[in-house]
Amino acid sequence: METLIHVTGAGVVSAVGCGQGETLDALRRGRSGIAPVRYLRTEEKAFPVGEVKFSDAEMAARCGARQGLSRTSLMGILALEEALAQAGLKDLTGVPLIGGTTVGGMDLTERIFPAYSPLHDCGASTDAIAAHFGGSPWATTLSTACSSAANAVIFGANLIRSGQAEIVAVGGSESLSDFHLHGFGSLMILDTAPCRPFDATRAGLNLGEGAAFLILESETSRKRRGVASLAVLSGFGNACDAFHQTASSENGEGAFLAMQKALRMAGLRPEEIDYVNAHGTGTPNNDASESAALRRVFGEQMPPVSSTKAFTGHTTSASGSIEAVFCLLALQEGFIPANLNWATPDPACITPYRGGDASCPTGHLPLKHILCNAFGFGGNDSSLLFSR
Amino acid sequence: MMRKVYVHARCELMPGDLEPDYRSLFSVMEARRMGRLLKRGVWTSAEALKQAGIDVPEAVVIGTDFGCIENSESFLKALKGLEDAPLRPTHFMQSTHNTIASLIAIRLGCHGYNATYSHRGRSYESALQDAATQIALGDIDNALVGWFDEMTPNLSASLLSQGIEPKEHALAVVLSANPEGALDILSF
Repeated sequence: METLIHVTGAGVVSAVGCGQGETLDALRRGRSGIAPVRYLRTEEKAFPVGEVKFSDAEMAARCGARQGLSRTSLMGILALEEALAQAGLKDLTGVPLIGGTTVGGMDLTERIFPAYSPLHDCGASTDAIAAHFGGSPWATTLSTACSSAANAVIFGANLIRSGQAEIVAVGGSESLSDFHLHGFGSLMILDTAPCRPFDATRAGLNLGEGAAFLILESETSRKRRGVASLAVLSGFGNACDAFHQTASSENGEGAFLAMQKALRMAGLRPEEIDYVNAHGTGTPNNDASESAALRRVFGEQMPPVSSTKAFTGHTTSASGSIEAVFCLLALQEGFIPANLNWATPDPACITPYRGGDASCPTGHLPLKHILCNAFGFGGNDSSLLFSR
Repeated sequence: MMRKVYVHARCELMPGDLEPDYRSLFSVMEARRMGRLLKRGVWTSAEALKQAGIDVPEAVVIGTDFGCIENSESFLKALKGLEDAPLRPTHFMQSTHNTIASLIAIRLGCHGYNATYSHRGRSYESALQDAATQIALGDIDNALVGWFDEMTPNLSASLLSQGIEPKEHALAVVLSANPEGALDILSF
């Protein structure tokens, strides 16, 4: 990319913890946040989930948010607070907020339907996050199902490339809801056991929730403000599988094109990629399709690949930015998160990275370039490339 | 150097308009499975692309303030036991906001950039800004941009109680870097 786009702040909340510190510790130790339902108001208890371990009231108290916000907004506020602080920003003055969500305020609406919460729609959810911090000139919301947050990163990056902004706050937030727990249940793609991405016995995904935001900043602005760069967003790709509303194509066309675009934009060869954080939901269809795409991109020189869904569950619209923060931590700390729960090879799938790398006894891997995949219903496939 | 962005075609169905003859686009079976929002989305998009003389655009970028609200409500009614009906996976699958953009891409075989914005009062503006930015940057040469919304009695009542006028949208435009034959130049 001709314009350097720096990440100068990051914030994350998911089932494995609140903030980069707790997240890093859990990823390093292989500690999953998936457990039986505890906070979500639902009768459906058969499926384990990756909940953020706070009630709505506890979250609101923690970030000092006003009463009555959706859980999606509350988690977004927690994540953005950390990202802004790291970037040395007090609020969103001059900073457009690009959010990603699909559930929005459904957690509020589903309690009162057929009435609607005024905070129901996706935009209201992002606006509530913007209003908490204040100063944002404008906000908007991507809603491309499970790639929403990744696409928010892409739009924000294009705003900087085109000179429409110097700093943008980008990411996504999604709470669990009874609505989409039953929705994924009706599609028969939830596992009653912890998910096992890329394993031959994988039987579906576990739903999760969370939020993450990144502060993207132009080189000029970063230098002027004198803030550190966590990494560079060196490339990205968005492509459409254009195959089926909820299923991925056998050859992973959309995923393949998204990864290929990201590599081309960064001017990198496939063998220069040190790690791929896969979408890897644990459904039979996604993991086989993504594996086909990975094999088309990398051929015989497959880099370490892992899905972190067994840590957090599938955080749907927020997964793109949550896993982007995981990739930033991996780059900075020199480690690769393990693909938990993998035991049985599947010829249709890549063999994921499981940690305990014998070639790296010190536990510090010199990682330079990481690809991060996020794919969504509708074939909305996106890939982000972060470099040191 | 940023390129200029031109509007090449525009097709809109107003809320009171009669439904177009969909038989040129859908089989009877297809039309039955598709809600009015999706049919209007596919139809206006096809018309706009035809006007612009483009078979497959390089990007599909859609704005929708509330998304596929009818399907969401059908699923919610079954979930809450408000209707004596089972939970239907189709209602959930077609409840996500990106259903329209996805369906358009599937029908066109369009593997290019695909995105959906859902931000009340800013959905369409954001979709235009996204597509126009990519054309200006030289990443793509053309894009289909749309704005699609449907209303239900429940949502209309909720909006009215907030002092907001409920509005449907069915608008498709084609943007391009090519000045030849343009209807207008886009400022963004």
